[in-house]
Amino acid sequence: MSDFNPKIVAFVCNWCTYAGADLTGTSRMKYSPQVSIIRFPCTGRIDFMLLLKAFANGADGIIVSGCHPNDCHYSSGNFHARRRWIVFRGLLDFLGIDVRRVRFSWVSAAEGAKWAQLVNDTAEHVRQLGPFSGYHRLRGLGVG
Amino acid sequence: MARIGVFICHCGENISATVDVKKVAAAASRIPGVAHSVEYKYMCSDPGQQMIKNAVREKNLTGVVVAACSPRMHEPTFRRACAEAGLNPFLCEMANIREHCSWVHEKSDATTNKAIDIVRTLVAKVKKNKALLPIKVPVTKTALVLGGGIAGIQASLDIANAGHKVILVEKQPSIGGHMSQLSETFPTLDCSQCILTPRMVEVAQHPNITLHSYSELESLDGFIGNFKARIRKKARSLDEKLCTGCGLCTQKCPTRKIASEFDAGLGLRPAIYVPFPQAVPNKPVIDREHCTYYLKGKCRLCEKICPTQAIRFDQEDEILEVEVGAVVLATGFDIKHGDFFPEYGYGKYKDVIDGLQFERLASASGPTLGEMRRPSDGRVPETVVFVACAGSRDPAKGIEYCSKICCMYTAKHAMLYKHKVHHGRPYVFYMDIRAGGKMYEEFVRRAQEVDGVQYIRGRVSRIYERGGKLVVKGADTLLGARPMEIEADLVVLATAGVANAGAEELAQKVHVSYDPYYFYSEAHPKLRPVETNTAGIFLAGACQAPKDIPESVAQASGAAAKVAGLFSQSELVREPLIAVVDRQAPPLYSTCVGCFLCQAACPYQAIEKEEIRGRDGRLIKTVAKVNPGLCQGCGTCVALCRSKSIDIQGFSHEQVYAEVLALLNRGESDV
Amino acid sequence: METLRDKARELLAARTVQVIIGYGQGSGGGARAVFVREAAEADALIFNEACRQNLAVYLMKPEVRKLGKAALVATPSALRTILQLAAENQVGDHDLLALAVHAAGEVTLLATLQAIEAHVTELDADLSAAEKAELRKYEALSLEQRREYWQEQFSRCLKCYACRAACPLCYCSRCTVECNQPQWIPVPAHDLGNLEWNVMRAMHLAGRCVNCGDCSRACPVAIPLYLLNQKLISDVFANFNARSGMAAKTDNAMSIFKPDDSEDFIR
Repeated sequence: MSDFNPKIVAFVCNWCTYAGADLTGTSRMKYSPQVSIIRFPCTGRIDFMLLLKAFANGADGIIVSGCHPNDCHYSSGNFHARRRWIVFRGLLDFLGIDVRRVRFSWVSAAEGAKWAQLVNDTAEHVRQLGPFSGYHRLRGLGVG
Repeated sequence: MARIGVFICHCGENISATVDVKKVAAAASRIPGVAHSVEYKYMCSDPGQQMIKNAVREKNLTGVVVAACSPRMHEPTFRRACAEAGLNPFLCEMANIREHCSWVHEKSDATTNKAIDIVRTLVAKVKKNKALLPIKVPVTKTALVLGGGIAGIQASLDIANAGHKVILVEKQPSIGGHMSQLSETFPTLDCSQCILTPRMVEVAQHPNITLHSYSELESLDGFIGNFKARIRKKARSLDEKLCTGCGLCTQKCPTRKIASEFDAGLGLRPAIYVPFPQAVPNKPVIDREHCTYYLKGKCRLCEKICPTQAIRFDQEDEILEVEVGAVVLATGFDIKHGDFFPEYGYGKYKDVIDGLQFERLASASGPTLGEMRRPSDGRVPETVVFVACAGSRDPAKGIEYCSKICCMYTAKHAMLYKHKVHHGRPYVFYMDIRAGGKMYEEFVRRAQEVDGVQYIRGRVSRIYERGGKLVVKGADTLLGARPMEIEADLVVLATAGVANAGAEELAQKVHVSYDPYYFYSEAHPKLRPVETNTAGIFLAGACQAPKDIPESVAQASGAAAKVAGLFSQSELVREPLIAVVDRQAPPLYSTCVGCFLCQAACPYQAIEKEEIRGRDGRLIKTVAKVNPGLCQGCGTCVALCRSKSIDIQGFSHEQVYAEVLALLNRGESDV
Repeated sequence: METLRDKARELLAARTVQVIIGYGQGSGGGARAVFVREAAEADALIFNEACRQNLAVYLMKPEVRKLGKAALVATPSALRTILQLAAENQVGDHDLLALAVHAAGEVTLLATLQAIEAHVTELDADLSAAEKAELRKYEALSLEQRREYWQEQFSRCLKCYACRAACPLCYCSRCTVECNQPQWIPVPAHDLGNLEWNVMRAMHLAGRCVNCGDCSRACPVAIPLYLLNQKLISDVFANFNARSGMAAKTDNAMSIFKPDDSEDFIR
């Protein structure tokens, strides 16, 4: 288990977290390379189906992050997303899907250090949970 | 078949020091659909950009991925380069292998592999990109300004002086707003009317401004650049063109005992009246609720004496329809009145008044001609208690915010009182003194130190009458909450500034959002303070939150600058990264079922209903339509739509889906 | 039963409606939907404890809509469905009448959406004590037990979409499952596709489902789909204080937000 390198996908909004992750870079802070970012205009754009797709295609963990409440570039996209995640998390948990593998966070454009911390914590956390093989096995014969 | 070009930047050594760029270029060249893959020292340099342009032309590329820094840095640069080479700029994407890779990871295979992952992800995305054209919206270069207080006046003048037409709508018979009621203004103590009335006259005479006083907005449709407004011009009972404003009618009107709104109820006016002598326009209006003719069918004295026969008893409201490109909301504020303060006896004791009433008492044009006389018996008050934060900062009263202007005007009131009644004793009960602003703190100090105003830190619990005096009970919290009792002749409550009674209704008419107190919400609390979330509608003054004059004026000029910016071009050009509801061939027309769950979720009211009708006019179905003038491209509707009938250009279902799959599925091409 | 038939005859005779969507005698003592278009045929209508189907599902079928204005024999779930459909812009005040049926046999004619709202307000819209207890039972299982349970349940799914056909709120003209660019849900009935299909359906019903239970009754392999819906009904009410199908004009719980929605799971 110790040499397990989890695959983590981060779904982030363009205006806060993507910019925050840029700041992590500009500040040359280091974090685990297991995480890759997919950019969205807003957390409100993030379809819950994409999270399922990420797990189905081998992700061991997921980060979803956007602007802090009241900071949304579109004023309320993050609030809509938050409501969606409340429901979605409850459903996944009810179905026995480990929601600890999905980390929701608010990371602002100024929080480069928070981004590095979030990535490292999530990577460590998922490393402890191990590969999400229970879910990956479901893939069966289908396409994605 | 896609022909994607991948351009990997070393960024000097910023990328190449930790990422094996040659390996990335080699891996990229093996991704299906990649026709060209190179690495170079500085992609953003002229030779780097030239390299991309040449490749676009020579290799006939259908898409470009530049693997370099953050798209927030150079996306415009590379998209422009592609456009210059004849490739639609929206077919260019950036893979961020610097901020998100080389700078945050140590040199290792894992870092290089991650860079390859990122490139593969963006190649997958760009294969699904579509050529997009900028959205062009025509702009009607006329602004509608709602509210003729100082904010509306300033915004109108600034827009008009920038060379654009302005339609200014004021609900009252005259423009001027609350500022025209004020006696003197802090912190300079210059006379409010003296600085305001020249501006009012300028509005009236400006060739670019059309003023509709005694008028209200009936409805507003359309979107940025293309609004249609209906304005109700309320019947003045007067032909404004004939009326010369001689004032004979207002002098002769037999019904004279109506509480004057302008004098905050402390003075009287006739039934046909001009709110105040410097009113703009200086034309009277008949108050039909009080006019004898309208009540009893007899009188018509004004009609008989009018030298120009301008009186029109049968006049009806008129609806004007205008087309405008932008709207400035400058509808101002109100203060709390009436039984909101039973513990202070406000509304019960004549000598407990509010700040606006005090302004009228202190004003040279007011009911006492500026002499300090109390309302009940006209005596000069010897002791005056000013109560700050009457209602403000009081969760129990439901007003948690600070009304912001009261600390300053209370200091001003106490000072004005002292200037008029030299032997008088002014007391101020306050919670904190908030005097942030140029010369503000100095002003409050002057009240305390030069004019000897007694400041007591504490709240007033109760006010009651005893032997012709008003007993003010409070506590001095700086003296260990010592109970205080002051026998006053006059009490002035600095009542909370609140939104206008009609604020919510107007917000709903024009589709802007508002806060729990019905103050209008700005698009962004820090960075877009004069815009609303509805494109093309701007905010000025106290309709957004309580503000003093300089702040209102500054915001009004800001809103005017935004309008002038919008009007600087005949077409509004916007990035096409917006949501679109699909359209299909008949009989489906669209996969949208018209549930409109998206409509409530849109932060910009950009989702409209479109009725699809047959040739015979029969309604076939009602489906959602995104107004490209209003949509800002957040995509909240896209994620909400169950049938995936809404998609967003630039972050489409196909694009992001392809990204997720590509990121997680390393092909044989890699490593 | 006679009251119902009388009412139906009256409405058809007066041409107030063109069709009564009601229950008729099915095979084996069951009930099935009947579409009565002539007053003379009103005797085909029945109402008994076998009449559980949410007939509002037919309101959204184009072939039924073609029959003209309908009077719908409506159980409480069906009434709430009508309101939910109205809130989703699918039915208007002049499209239908409801014949609210009660266990004791009486019938109330509800001619407007407002009347339906008033009627529904009187009903207990909460999950029943038994439903809550069952939900709690599953919630109390360990994560692993829940995973095993649902994997076993979904492994039987045939992707026949009977749940979708039975659901009055699954009225999209193109379901996401039919999208192939991209192919959101894999076509074969394997474990992953079955899970994704059922998660998607449940999410699409969040804040909308009125708990009629027809999806579970329609499922040929007896997957307890109602549990998913009840879980979301319970969560939506607990978190957003919202119930579906109670008002004809209201914003859906999933279309709006409150600034103070819970975020204890967000870091």
